[in-house]
Amino acid sequence: MGAISAIGSSVTENRMALMQEKCGIGPLEMFVTKYASLLPFGEIKITNNLLREKLRAHEPGLTRTTLLALHACEEAIKDAALTATQLNSFDTALTGASTVGGMCLTDELYHDANKKENGSAYLSSYDCASVNLYLQQRYGINGIVNTINTACSSSANSILYGARLIKSGLAERAIVGGVDSLAKFTINGFNALHILSPDKCTPFDEQRRGLNLGEAAAFLVLEKEEAVAGKKIYAELTGYCNTNDAYHASSLSEEGDGPYLSMKGALAVAGISPADISFINAHGTGTENNDLAESTAMLRLFEKVPLFASTKANTGHTLGAAGAIEAVYSILNLVNQEVYTSLNFKQPIEATRLQPVQSYTKMPLQHVMSNSFGFGGNCASLIFSKTDY
Amino acid sequence: METVQLKQQLKKQIVEFLNLINVKPEDIKDDEPLFGAGLGLDSIDSIELIVLLNREYGITIQDPKEGRKVLVDINTMADYIEKHRTK
Amino acid sequence: MLYIHQTTCISPQLSFSTIQLDQLQESVNNRLQVIEPAYEGIPNGILRRMGKAIRFGVGAALPIIRGAVASIDGIIIGTANGGMEDCIKFLNQIIDYEEGMLTPTNFVQSTTNAIAAQIGLLSANKAYNTTHVHRGLAFENALLDAVMLLKENTDAHYLVGGVDEISMYNYNIDYLDGWFKKESIDSKDLYQSGTTGSLAGEGAAMFLVNGNSENAKAKVAALHLLHTEDEQLVAKQLTLFLEKHLRSGEKIDVLLSGEDGDSRSLHYYNACENVLDKQATVARFKHMMGEYATASAAALWLACIILKEQSLPGHMIKYGSSSSNVNRILIYNNHKGRQHSFILVEKMK
Repeated sequence: MGAISAIGSSVTENRMALMQEKCGIGPLEMFVTKYASLLPFGEIKITNNLLREKLRAHEPGLTRTTLLALHACEEAIKDAALTATQLNSFDTALTGASTVGGMCLTDELYHDANKKENGSAYLSSYDCASVNLYLQQRYGINGIVNTINTACSSSANSILYGARLIKSGLAERAIVGGVDSLAKFTINGFNALHILSPDKCTPFDEQRRGLNLGEAAAFLVLEKEEAVAGKKIYAELTGYCNTNDAYHASSLSEEGDGPYLSMKGALAVAGISPADISFINAHGTGTENNDLAESTAMLRLFEKVPLFASTKANTGHTLGAAGAIEAVYSILNLVNQEVYTSLNFKQPIEATRLQPVQSYTKMPLQHVMSNSFGFGGNCASLIFSKTDY
Repeated sequence: METVQLKQQLKKQIVEFLNLINVKPEDIKDDEPLFGAGLGLDSIDSIELIVLLNREYGITIQDPKEGRKVLVDINTMADYIEKHRTK
Repeated sequence: MLYIHQTTCISPQLSFSTIQLDQLQESVNNRLQVIEPAYEGIPNGILRRMGKAIRFGVGAALPIIRGAVASIDGIIIGTANGGMEDCIKFLNQIIDYEEGMLTPTNFVQSTTNAIAAQIGLLSANKAYNTTHVHRGLAFENALLDAVMLLKENTDAHYLVGGVDEISMYNYNIDYLDGWFKKESIDSKDLYQSGTTGSLAGEGAAMFLVNGNSENAKAKVAALHLLHTEDEQLVAKQLTLFLEKHLRSGEKIDVLLSGEDGDSRSLHYYNACENVLDKQATVARFKHMMGEYATASAAALWLACIILKEQSLPGHMIKYGSSSSNVNRILIYNNHKGRQHSFILVEKMK
């Protein structure tokens, strides 16, 4: 696994931060926007130049989104000890995700889209595919390469797709994940919808006022059971499901149909019952709509709602990276048999009375579910299970 | 500007701003509900209309919920504009 | 792999309300823009918000959704740029209004998953819904996604599509990047141009797919995706592909080639033609559909029509015959010289 977020530049750093209840959300120090002084963000305090130096990535046209993806991908590949032969093999797949792509470069994009001459160095870097096309080239990946964008559930779907490539025999191993960097495009977009909170977000709290945007990247290396003898294994992906809420372009239905169906579907794939879920890493953005719909869905599905928490209060909502980084966090729960505090929670939502985890606790965990629900009603749920390896 | 003129202008602006199809400004009645039944606008439209009020009339409404109280029909909108416009 | 039961295409040609491929519609200002039909079945309240790609993407899907006898178990769309027009409109707002009060519709409609989401919304479909955006292989990944799903459940039905639009903005970006002709050119002269760049195209092609052959219109027998700039590797992979998927005595009748008039990528198409060694009729489609990331979806629709009609319009033919027994069509396409795909399409027996 590999991860970089506002609370750490590696999986280990992220875990330490989660254990210590560190919040990576605060005032912007590097990114320039009118909202810098008005809203808090989960900014990764590393400049693009530093990233380029560290990653030896000096090719022209590399966006911050690509650099962050490279950082996490590099860590994951090293962690999985993939050899050059394995990377170049025709049965190694790569599926990434992003919602922003190179659109973090607002001024360059404005120029290139509107002006007739002097194109910038980023002409081929604006789409989401540009990130994974770079990774494909950098690592010489010769198997199936893909990019998915389903808004906030993008990288959960990326993990799901990679898993199914292996399951259907189209790949022996898959590098899966997602990334997003801060962009005026998403900041202004979410702000125009009035769902950005002026304070640090408070997932599942009655007084919640919206989400904080963050940036992050996370990648995981998936391999099939028969190939893992002698290797370090973190967890097994046992359940996954993708559904659509089909209610509205930018909000979930009150009953949380999409979330309910995706959680239920993931359980079916895993072949386990709701009572078997030890813990849920919730989507929990801190918006009025999501947290209520998600809570309602959990109450519908679970006779007794399991322990749950939202790590978006630590990292912010990292959009295209959310599914992947929260998958990493769910796996950390399992590997270390611990749950992390859901920060900033004070008062349960009146209609549901549900309370997320409120302190770091070591405890036995067998199956952890991770949820991602997005714009366009795109919902995805993943289940990770403890293995005996 | 006369109230009647303002209402006519407002209807035209709403049709253009929200890109309403097959709706002529003169078809919109002054007391026809904008949301739900009537013109059938939704929550995204309410945000768009708040932006319209800002761009055309210099009025700032921060909270969409407050906005819904103003955006009942053409009459309430025109009334609010007359009282609060800065442009 | 999978069977196509229904297919529609909104394109720069007469391909939707009536299908008249002999009547070649030509480019205007170096662009091949879609002929938009009257959109029946999209409520005005929703239509008013839709940008062009979403409009014709949804428009192409609707007849299939409405005509489907069984429930649709998933909606899988491939698009490289989604609602690019709306995206840049929102970006322009950000700059013009200096991040002030902005209208959200452009933002909400600009996300690439908006097409699949709107189709899901209009058909109240709560099942699998995803959007692949891997540029020149976005549609192929969507198709592969359906292949994998059908492997797990042969009886399921999926709506798979490829959609992309020419917006003034992404035309500009690709033009500056050298992907479109600098000189003014007519689409009928595309292949003789000898210059770099191609003509911008757009379109939406939709397919209802299932794992059962009964009543199917065509079969996608095999699919291969490749990233390379080495034409020898493309040729080698094609040879292996044909060895693997053609049984003894079987041959490719038509090579449906994505040759696009760009002198820089001609060598890939020549390499593939050489593999087939004049054994197949070679036909081209980008003078009809234009060049865009998901053009292979339009090619697959064309393949279905050719298999049904057992003939192809003369203007498509590079060499070979326009009518004879067409049992097997190989689509070879590449996008920007780096992303390649082979799709083997077979006639139903």
